[in-house]
Amino acid sequence: MLFFTLLKESVYFAWHSLSANKLRTFLSLLGITIGIFAIIVVFTIVDSLENNIRGSIQSLGDNVVFVQKWPWTFGPDYPWWKYMNRPVPKYDELFDIQKKSKTAEAVAFRIGGRRTLKYKANIIQNAVVSGCSYDYYKIKAFDISEGRYFTESEVNAGYNVVILGSKIAEGLFPNNPIPIGEEIKIAGKKAYVIGLFKREGESMLGNSADKMVLIPFNFARLILDVNSENSDPFIAVRAKPGVTNAQMIDELTGIMRGVRQLKPLADDNFALNETNLISKNFDILFDVIGIAGWIIGGFSILVGGFGIANIMFVSVKERTHVIGIQKSLGAKNYFILLQFLSESVFLSLIGGVIGLLLTFVITFFARDVIDMDISLTKSNIILGITISVLIGIISGFVPAYSASQLDPVEAIRSK
Amino acid sequence: MKRPLIITIICIIGFVTVTLTFPAVFSPSVKKIGDFVPALYGFLVAGGFISYIGLWHMKQWGVLLFLVVFFTKTLFLVFINDTGPGTIAGIIVSFVFGVILVKNYPKMDLNL
Repeated sequence: MLFFTLLKESVYFAWHSLSANKLRTFLSLLGITIGIFAIIVVFTIVDSLENNIRGSIQSLGDNVVFVQKWPWTFGPDYPWWKYMNRPVPKYDELFDIQKKSKTAEAVAFRIGGRRTLKYKANIIQNAVVSGCSYDYYKIKAFDISEGRYFTESEVNAGYNVVILGSKIAEGLFPNNPIPIGEEIKIAGKKAYVIGLFKREGESMLGNSADKMVLIPFNFARLILDVNSENSDPFIAVRAKPGVTNAQMIDELTGIMRGVRQLKPLADDNFALNETNLISKNFDILFDVIGIAGWIIGGFSILVGGFGIANIMFVSVKERTHVIGIQKSLGAKNYFILLQFLSESVFLSLIGGVIGLLLTFVITFFARDVIDMDISLTKSNIILGITISVLIGIISGFVPAYSASQLDPVEAIRSK
Repeated sequence: MKRPLIITIICIIGFVTVTLTFPAVFSPSVKKIGDFVPALYGFLVAGGFISYIGLWHMKQWGVLLFLVVFFTKTLFLVFINDTGPGTIAGIIVSFVFGVILVKNYPKMDLNL
């Protein structure tokens, strides 16, 4: 009960002090507000980007290995001239891997290229058209909101059917939300829409299904150059449950060397890329961004802490007379200490909450502008409030303690 | 009550340590451990700071708070598996400080 009475009084004193000196309060709280805002905005952006990238990597599959011409990461002295002469993965190699691999759960081939899409007068230029083998849906996780995925016979026979991403569908069919069965033209070739991918939003890795146009591989042969490096052909292999990427890479290395008839001492002429290589590189980037935000926000908070300490010293000086009266009426030292300490925590908390609100507003508008899920997370709210409370305690304790140690007679005498 | 030189040195080292460790409260590495870890670590740092103020004023509650913070912080570091050489050195130094403070405890003021 005493605690609540004390808290109520402290909040009243704090509010009175705030409203009596609005400009001083505003300037003092600005440091905390900017500090919390800077730190939490950076952490929110980093968390959101990290989630987006992790989501994109998960949609690619974290236990998937890609057989490609180029590796995703290079050392400082990589022999690029050797890589230049490597062959691109071939569609036939897919069947060799399917037949020989014991660790693979699914194997798929995919190529892609930019082509023009047309439906009546609506044209989309440079749309990314991907041709895939049947098992591609077992590799890349995607949801189909309307219609269906290809059948095996459609893929093998090269039927002219297509599944569209939501943004492509909106562009081609602005007045038809479910264009299943409609006929479009892909680089002049007729194709029938059989499905629509569920809207995903922007992806940091550029692999969002929203802008995807997926067709069967044997139909893609008519539209894309399957032997060209520009088509970025790759074979994606998903490991069976319980099989590590390392085990699968060992096996794939043997299979691919056999398929390409490489001599024992010859270098591999293919690259086996893992999705966790991407996430490792992004982890380093996000750590750097996080540390930069931490330093910028840290200095703002330091300045804000001095501001709070200053306002509290002024507050103690202004109310020395009142402290004297309180003590002479029987108020204990801890009562005076807690009174000023809770005032400083309250002040700091107001600054922190304003900083969090600013962050919320920024993320709210940013979400619409960049079409990505940026949101203030629970952990960042907890962190913002924690920092505010800590700054309040650390910067307010010395003024509060000095107030609690005042001699009542001397305090009453002061003006 | 005159403050012994050794306690003045401990307080100065303590204030410098708090200033250096406070930014770690909201560092990305601590945040990654868990949602409430920065809060817990932050209150330990704040507790440490308050204990040094108490010690500076030669108050017994400063020693008690120092010991509480020391034991809690050691448990916290073990809990998050931070057992590097720097951490071990910090624990040893804090333990030595604790022994010195306990020896000086009877000379200190009982009141707040």
